[in-house]
Amino acid sequence: MELKDEVTIPAPRDEVYAALNDPEILKRCIPGCEELIKHSDEELEAKVVLKIGPVKAKFNGTVRLDKSGAPESFSLTGEGNGGAAGFAKGGADVTLEDQGDTTILRYEAKADIGGKLAQLGSRLVQSTAKKLSSKFFNEFAATFEDGAA
Amino acid sequence: MNDLTPSREERTENLKGLGCSRKRVEDARFTQGKGNYVDDIKMPGMLFGDFVRSPYAHARVKNINSEEALKVPGVLAVLTAKDLEPLGLHWMPTLAGDKQMVLADGKVLFQGQEVAFVVATDRYAAADGIEAVEVEYEELPVVVDPFKALDPDAPVLREDLEGQTEGAHGPRKHHNHIFLWEAGDKEATESVLASADVVAEEMVYYHRTHPCPLEPCGCVASMDKVNGKLTLWGTFQAPHAVRTVASLISGIAEHNIRVISPDIGGGFGNKVGVYPGYVCSIVASIVTGKPVKWIEDRMDNLMATAFARDYWMKGKIAATKEGKITGLWCHTTADHGGFDACADPTKFPAGFMNICTGSYDIPVAYLGVDGVYTNKAPGGVAYRCSFRVTEAAYFIERMIEILAIELNMDAAELRRINFIKKEQFPYQSALGWEYDSGDYHTAWEKALKAVDYEGLRKEQAERVEAFKRGETRKLLGIGLTHFTEIVGAGPVKNCDILGLGMFDSCEIRIHPTGSAIARLGTISQGQGHATTFAQILASEIGLPADSITIEEGDTDTAPYGLGTYGSRSTPVAGAATAMAGRKIRAKAQMIAAYLLEVHDDDVEWDVDRFAVKGAPERFKTMAEIAFAAYNQAIPGIEPGLEAVSYYDPPNMTYPFGAYICVMEIDVDTGVHEIRQFYALDDCGTRINPMIIEGQVHGGVTEALAIAMGQEIAYDEMGNVKTGTLMDFFLPTAWETPNYTTDHTTTPSPHHPIGAKGVGESPNVGGVPAFSNAVHDAFRAFGLRQSHMPHDHWRIWKTAHDLGLHG
Repeated sequence: MELKDEVTIPAPRDEVYAALNDPEILKRCIPGCEELIKHSDEELEAKVVLKIGPVKAKFNGTVRLDKSGAPESFSLTGEGNGGAAGFAKGGADVTLEDQGDTTILRYEAKADIGGKLAQLGSRLVQSTAKKLSSKFFNEFAATFEDGAA
Repeated sequence: MNDLTPSREERTENLKGLGCSRKRVEDARFTQGKGNYVDDIKMPGMLFGDFVRSPYAHARVKNINSEEALKVPGVLAVLTAKDLEPLGLHWMPTLAGDKQMVLADGKVLFQGQEVAFVVATDRYAAADGIEAVEVEYEELPVVVDPFKALDPDAPVLREDLEGQTEGAHGPRKHHNHIFLWEAGDKEATESVLASADVVAEEMVYYHRTHPCPLEPCGCVASMDKVNGKLTLWGTFQAPHAVRTVASLISGIAEHNIRVISPDIGGGFGNKVGVYPGYVCSIVASIVTGKPVKWIEDRMDNLMATAFARDYWMKGKIAATKEGKITGLWCHTTADHGGFDACADPTKFPAGFMNICTGSYDIPVAYLGVDGVYTNKAPGGVAYRCSFRVTEAAYFIERMIEILAIELNMDAAELRRINFIKKEQFPYQSALGWEYDSGDYHTAWEKALKAVDYEGLRKEQAERVEAFKRGETRKLLGIGLTHFTEIVGAGPVKNCDILGLGMFDSCEIRIHPTGSAIARLGTISQGQGHATTFAQILASEIGLPADSITIEEGDTDTAPYGLGTYGSRSTPVAGAATAMAGRKIRAKAQMIAAYLLEVHDDDVEWDVDRFAVKGAPERFKTMAEIAFAAYNQAIPGIEPGLEAVSYYDPPNMTYPFGAYICVMEIDVDTGVHEIRQFYALDDCGTRINPMIIEGQVHGGVTEALAIAMGQEIAYDEMGNVKTGTLMDFFLPTAWETPNYTTDHTTTPSPHHPIGAKGVGESPNVGGVPAFSNAVHDAFRAFGLRQSHMPHDHWRIWKTAHDLGLHG
């Protein structure tokens, strides 16, 4: 599964970057996120409830961040296990383009899905992933509008 | 006879015997929802079992933790391989001489493989229990390509076979190799190819698909600890074989096992083998002392039960420039999945693939089949395939079309000049079969005439020109097929399943008041045996079919038989039925002679009675003879009137047919429309024309599905991509066209009633007809071979690759 998008966040780049590293903000924005623990600057652990079509499961996942290109770019890799529902692993490359008061965030994500989730067919998985991704970025952008960063 | 005696024609008609379109006796209960399927069986205290299944295609199982699962209300037990090991049941023998895991033993080899069996008070508690079982997997590299599986550094799938260079069917040349099976003369064939005028070479792929019967697999196992008897109801196409195998692997003596196949909602080869669900249910019943039911759901069925096909067939066909075929070479790479559980007769690990010379007189041929392990579900022989005949027929019917392209010849004409001639039967094929009878030229002429073949080719040529002028975006394809298939397995000397010879049986008992019961070793899964076998008997013994009850499926009462699959019921059990009927008639003759006070030879059979030769007004009907059998003390004759026949067929039977599909294809959308589908079948003597038509309609619809979109597809991680009916194409009324059925009748010379069987023919002939129509539509634009299924996307892509999108 591949996902690519570009979104404009109403905040300067250094604020956007800081928010992306804030576990509280991430927990609020990730749809279905029940727990998000920052183990270190580079490692996160999350518990997310995911529903794709008729399959709903709680995923335990770990995410590792590569910040060597920050704040212009960074990448992350991770894997999640959903027990009987399946598993996923993948990564994303993110770039943040400074536009003064706003930032253009671009990402390219690739994921391999396995297990029951994958059997539902890529049509469902892809469209659900897109929906969840939009939801995340809407929530994320909204945090800056209330000045909650 | 006198004026009051009904005429011979009337009496024959009243019997509703051979040739009559007798209405099916089963349909009353099926159409009212009053069938008795295995899921209808409910017993007091019955438990429900279901599986934890692997999400991974290839992984080590490091740990299974059932602690949380056992806390779920209603969950009574969680069985793993460790629990089955002391009973020696964690692995079981397959029908193909391999062994397969009943529950994951150290690793899993395909997505959906059974890892643990949760036993609970109902199916919902079992489902909750399954979610709570914690399994720790360690992923291993996946191989889903059978060619890559034979790379020297390919991952090892079967660690249990490590070091074993001899398999069940000969030497193994690689850790993922199963067998090499060969037929014909390799040297002679290669020599012919080397010196031929023309050689057409192509890789023809018959993709993996699945029979997807309406009713999935299931069973109820009930161990009676007081009597020491195990009763097993289930979706079994071969109940006696299941009983014998269950006895051998469980140690319970065969007389203490009763296997019952109730109504089965479609088998199609999906229900021949023994599944882990059956074994686990038996063990769970023994352990809990209660009946245990296992019924899989649709995703389980598509993901883990016996699939069909997956044959990569590389062909080379040699011919003179006038179009006479001089040799055929075929090498097949057979993708068998993680275990070889192919339901073939023992000596035929590639089934009857060597029927791939088809309807053609080919003097020299060679076939080699390499079986390969991959990370997919086990199986391969299913879906009306007659043991790989669907693959063989598709192969040769594609090669003929490709040869026609190579020779720039009309494909109908190319077939005609190469058909085996009527006078050549019985015909010895270059790959080892003796075809019993056939008249291919007559069938072919009839078919071509029925669709106005010449007119269609003219229309097609005009359409190609119109397309080139830009006046239309629709192409016309004419899909031709003349198939010969081989069914009726089979002679005991070379056909057996796990050592059980493939004979079959019929036991008849006539009641005093002139009706009868007959029990068979076969089992209908919708074919209509209760209707048709009564018809065979009616014609043999002169009792109306409506007076004959046909019973199958209970191993306590039915005579031993090898079950129903591969269109074997009519050729084998149908023969046994006729022979048993003749034994009845032979005894009836003696009783009639006694009653009529004449010598045995002085009476003759007339439809439903024995009459005195020369004095036809003196007769005894079979009904009168039946009563006499219970009422009279006849010197030298035992009371009662019954007979049993176990029939070992002298040969297979060879039904054939000519199918023509006329198809329109929209080049811009890839959407097809079937304008006409003509199916001519020759199944020898036709027992019930209406049922034959039904079989053809059903089989051709399956063929439509297979050719035009249905598949079991895997991605590189071994995920099943078509695991639900959202993606697995099942035609509805919307997609299904009208069919025209027709027939010729060329009886089998060795069968007691000349019947050959017809159940599998429509799938054998249908797939090449649809596929050839697609190929034919694009022939004028340079297409040689495009793999199935021909769904809209693939057809669109074909058009695109041929440059038809401008």
